[in-house]
Amino acid sequence: MNLILIPIILPIVSALALLLISERTRWLKELLAIAASIVSLLAAANLFLLPAQTLSYAWLGGGISFTLSTDTLSAFLLLAVSLFSAAISIYSFSSPNKGSAKWFFFNLLMTQAFAAGAALSDNMVAMLFFWEGLLVFLYTFIALSQETKAAKRTAMKAFLINAVTDLCLLTGVVITGYIAGTYSMSEISHNKLTLDYGWSVFAYVLLLIGAVSKAGAFPFHTWIPDAATDSSAPFMAYVPAAIDKLLGIYFLARASVYLFTLNGTMQLVLMTLGAVTILVAVMMAFVQKDYKRLLSYHAVSQTGYMILGIGTLNPIGIAGGLFHMINHATYKSCLFMTAGSVERQAGTGDLSKLGGLFRAMPITGLCFLIAAAAISGIAPLNGFFSKELIYKGTLDTGYTWFFIAAELGSFLTLASFLKLGHSVYFGKRPEGLKDTKEAPFSMLLPMMAFAGICVAFGFGARLPVQWFISPSLEALNLQHGLLFGFHADKLYFVSVIVILAAVLNHMLGLAAGGGKADKASDHIHYAPVLKETYALAERRVFDIYELAMDKVVPPVSYALFKADRFFDWAIDTVPSGVTGLLSGASSRFHNGSYPLYMALTLAGAAVYILLVGGFK
Amino acid sequence: MDKGLLAYLLIPLFTAVLIPFIARNRPRLADIFANVTLLAGLVNLLWLALRPSVIAGGFADIPGDALSLLLVAAVYLVGLCVTFFSAYFMEEGLPNRQAYYSLILTSIAAMTGVVTTGDFFTLYVFIEVLAVTSFALITTDDSAGGIEGAIKYFFLTFPASALIMVGIAIFMISLGSLSFDSLRVYMSSDMPDGPVVFASALIMLGFLIKSGVVPFHAWTPDAYQGSYAPVSAHLAGIVTKISGVYAVVKLATLLRFFDGRAQALSELVMFLGLLSIAVGAIAALRQTSFKRMLAFSSISQVGYIVLAAGLGTPLAIMGAVFHLINHATFKTTLFLNSASLEKAAGTTDMDKLGGMEHAMPWTSWTSVIALLSTAGVPPLSGFWSKLLIILALWESGLKTYAVLALLFSIVTLAYFMIMQRKVFFGRKSPAAERSSEVSAPLLAPAVLMCGVIVALGLLFPYFYQYVKVVAERIIL
Amino acid sequence: MIYHTLLFVLTAVFALWAVMARKLLTSAIMLALVSITVSLIFFDFGAPWAGVFELSVCAGLITVLFIGAVSLIRDHDEKRPENRSRFHALPLAAAIFAIAAWFYLPAFFEELAGWARVGNGGGTIGLALWEMRRPDLLGQVLMLAAGVFMIKSIFPRRTQK
Repeated sequence: MNLILIPIILPIVSALALLLISERTRWLKELLAIAASIVSLLAAANLFLLPAQTLSYAWLGGGISFTLSTDTLSAFLLLAVSLFSAAISIYSFSSPNKGSAKWFFFNLLMTQAFAAGAALSDNMVAMLFFWEGLLVFLYTFIALSQETKAAKRTAMKAFLINAVTDLCLLTGVVITGYIAGTYSMSEISHNKLTLDYGWSVFAYVLLLIGAVSKAGAFPFHTWIPDAATDSSAPFMAYVPAAIDKLLGIYFLARASVYLFTLNGTMQLVLMTLGAVTILVAVMMAFVQKDYKRLLSYHAVSQTGYMILGIGTLNPIGIAGGLFHMINHATYKSCLFMTAGSVERQAGTGDLSKLGGLFRAMPITGLCFLIAAAAISGIAPLNGFFSKELIYKGTLDTGYTWFFIAAELGSFLTLASFLKLGHSVYFGKRPEGLKDTKEAPFSMLLPMMAFAGICVAFGFGARLPVQWFISPSLEALNLQHGLLFGFHADKLYFVSVIVILAAVLNHMLGLAAGGGKADKASDHIHYAPVLKETYALAERRVFDIYELAMDKVVPPVSYALFKADRFFDWAIDTVPSGVTGLLSGASSRFHNGSYPLYMALTLAGAAVYILLVGGFK
Repeated sequence: MDKGLLAYLLIPLFTAVLIPFIARNRPRLADIFANVTLLAGLVNLLWLALRPSVIAGGFADIPGDALSLLLVAAVYLVGLCVTFFSAYFMEEGLPNRQAYYSLILTSIAAMTGVVTTGDFFTLYVFIEVLAVTSFALITTDDSAGGIEGAIKYFFLTFPASALIMVGIAIFMISLGSLSFDSLRVYMSSDMPDGPVVFASALIMLGFLIKSGVVPFHAWTPDAYQGSYAPVSAHLAGIVTKISGVYAVVKLATLLRFFDGRAQALSELVMFLGLLSIAVGAIAALRQTSFKRMLAFSSISQVGYIVLAAGLGTPLAIMGAVFHLINHATFKTTLFLNSASLEKAAGTTDMDKLGGMEHAMPWTSWTSVIALLSTAGVPPLSGFWSKLLIILALWESGLKTYAVLALLFSIVTLAYFMIMQRKVFFGRKSPAAERSSEVSAPLLAPAVLMCGVIVALGLLFPYFYQYVKVVAERIIL
Repeated sequence: MIYHTLLFVLTAVFALWAVMARKLLTSAIMLALVSITVSLIFFDFGAPWAGVFELSVCAGLITVLFIGAVSLIRDHDEKRPENRSRFHALPLAAAIFAIAAWFYLPAFFEELAGWARVGNGGGTIGLALWEMRRPDLLGQVLMLAAGVFMIKSIFPRRTQK
């Protein structure tokens, strides 16, 4: 078997095998899943090291070829996907609250397989196939993660939002393929499409919607915070934090750089989308009172940076976007894992009930600190470097406003993590948490691994950039200059200012909140104007899904119901009714009256003669 | 007048005159004479048309215009079925048994005359003869319904005679002759065409009235329902088809020589055809009397023929002629079956019947074959004729007409299915408990007709070859 | 001229009789006689085709049909008494019309004579019947037979009842 198929086939086979294993067995399922994901990881690593190779089958009657290719970007992505799968399966080994183990690992492996397929597909139709497959497992993942009704509801919400945007993607792919004359991305890239005419703009916008929705950008993000409360930490660490970001940003980069040549307007659109996502999500994140929910808003917010980076359209920005993508996946996974650990050990994720856990769970706390510092862009962790690249790329475009927005986002990110860290790991430990212990090793291992990566990619930013990001840019046919290195330039000082401002803000908040860390955001939360806005947001007024479900779906479904009734009536009642009426009328008419018949005949004859005679 | 086929007119007439004298004291002789005459004629016709050598030669040896021969054969076939059926159906004591057979033979002679004649006036006279004989035949059993039907038939078709007369008079003035050929010659010259077109329209109207096309159909249900049972088969199966529909088709073939100058007329005829299809089919849906439903179905089927005739392309004319023949086969079967039902169960009211299949399996299944053929279900003969008609419509760009014709073909199936369910299938009604299958001789005509239906359907390629010969001779 | 006048008068008389007759059968027969006299007038005015049409169609065919119809419905028509007094005014009206016609109709006839176009093929009744009508003679024979059989079919039933 070709090596390239292993990351796809092996998880699927293992997932199906999992279903055969009895629920009673204790470790078998977990071990099988871990083994499968680790083997896949090894295969992916192997593929990454090998030169690019392509596997192609004629598919769908020969018109479309099923092509898998490991160009450097795809191989990098595959490696990342496999890495996170392996880490999460190890982490989930003893994680509770993940629902049925059998189904959890089944979904995990299936997601891994389909994500790997989507990453490797060169043909857009094949990619769509995997992409849509992910949608199915997204639903089952959430729906089976908890027994509650809320889980099902959130699963449906996630499914519907992504189904709509996937449909956009499907349409976009079809139109793109039609315009380009081929569905092969590598073939299109030889002769990139331009946004000179309506259809191609339409196609690109549809692809864009599909990609950013997968990545979880505003305004398609609303299911992620809900999933944070209604689903498990491993799921959050795996899908919204890692896989979705990877794939979404990967395809965004492909579409924006590889398939299309964008113009200034579209660049502005992308950057605006990025900036808005950063700010809106981080504003929401800042005031959250739940561990996972706060993280989930950050997962959205960080997407904004990636979109902003890719939207700059210059190599530095794009490199920043991609680098941020992998960095974000690392530290956000790590953060969700800490959330899962805390939840497992302390039994809650509510910030007001937590506190002072650093002593009880030092490793978890340390991992949290590293990851939080990384996400906040504190030098010299990985998040700092990727954000620097993005800032640089943004400044190079000349749109300073986006830079300021991104910095503002950074400020709020740090502020919210100060609040989070303070309220969970420091301060006074509540009475109920006296006996809290460190999480088991299987949970700590991946956490530590990711924290380690954060540090490694920070101090040694040269390595990932050289190994992963530069080849990826080459795969996107981009020329670039020096991308790494620590520069004590203006940007660095701006970030220092941001850090200081955030600390200042946190102190202000603490003072205003009476020393309680979980209330450190209240001075902003309940500030004039913002208070009302937040209230509206809490009521989900800005959630397009809820809006649609409340305002649009009922009337539409009512209208559709009525339309259905109408058609039912039209094909059921009307023919029989009309024929009944007509034949009834004809029966009544044919009453045997001779004068009536004669009159009819004569009148008919008269009309006939008039018509034939030319009285038309 | 086609001299070659004159014998088919004269011999029945001769037998008709002979019967009252020979069978004066032995009424059964009348049955025998009538049947033997028609059987002999039919055998003769079959020999003429279906010798292996003729078939092998692609029907090139058929005398005359081939259409006449075909229609004469249809007339004889239906006539034979009706007389054979009547021979076993008629009550012994009927006082005018001899006159009945004489009238049937006279009407057959007249129909032969109609289909073989070459000029308008003779056509008209023969058609009037048909009117007279039908009038007498309808009232054979002297029932109140029969008399009402006969009178309605006579008076409501009377305007037709008047209109045809006026038309013929105008022809006489304009053409100086009344033969079909003179019309063709006249239209190919540059003479003023106004009066001729108008006269054609009047004659067409007369024939349309006689065909029972909507809105001139009012007499048909009453006449068919009221008439003596075997006569209704005769009337619906062949008489009105020859006296009205055949004439319409014949005139339509002549309209082709008008070269578009009778466009309005053709369109009007087509419209009336479609109207008939629709009204007949819809009205048939709700009928409770079997015979009345068949009458409305007949209106609907006549609509198809008239629609095709109005279109007038060679393919359409072929379809029209074929449908005319098919109509004779399946409508005769159905009416004869209704007569059998009447004899066995004593009623044709569909609400009182039900489950007759158990009592009368042969009648039930011959009905099924006939109704499927009517609805145009392959591979029965009705399918091919409807296919030809709809194809012709489609090819001429009249897609709406084609689609509607197809649609009402489904309605046809619907009302026949309703009929079949009400009468033959389903739970056994008291009527079914009492009754039993009629005797074999009464079944024989229906079975024969079903055989013809199936054979025409299966051997359609041969028949198509024949109809093509017809089309070549009379249209092209 | 006297011949013409006689035919006109006869036509008028038969027509009146047809309208006024108590029995429908008589009416029908009178109608046939009207047709015959009219066709004779046609022949006399040199319109043999019109004459033949009138004779065969109206006098022959339609009368046969009428008589058939009448014989069927005779019974219940005769049972119903009818106020016929208004028909007695008819001869009077006819007489007034005839006198008026005496004054202005001749001029009209003169004009009509000028229209004669096709009918002037001329000839005797025999010529018109035998030479020009050979094609539909068979039809006429058939019609005759049909009429006879019809009467034979319908009348026995009448007498039985």
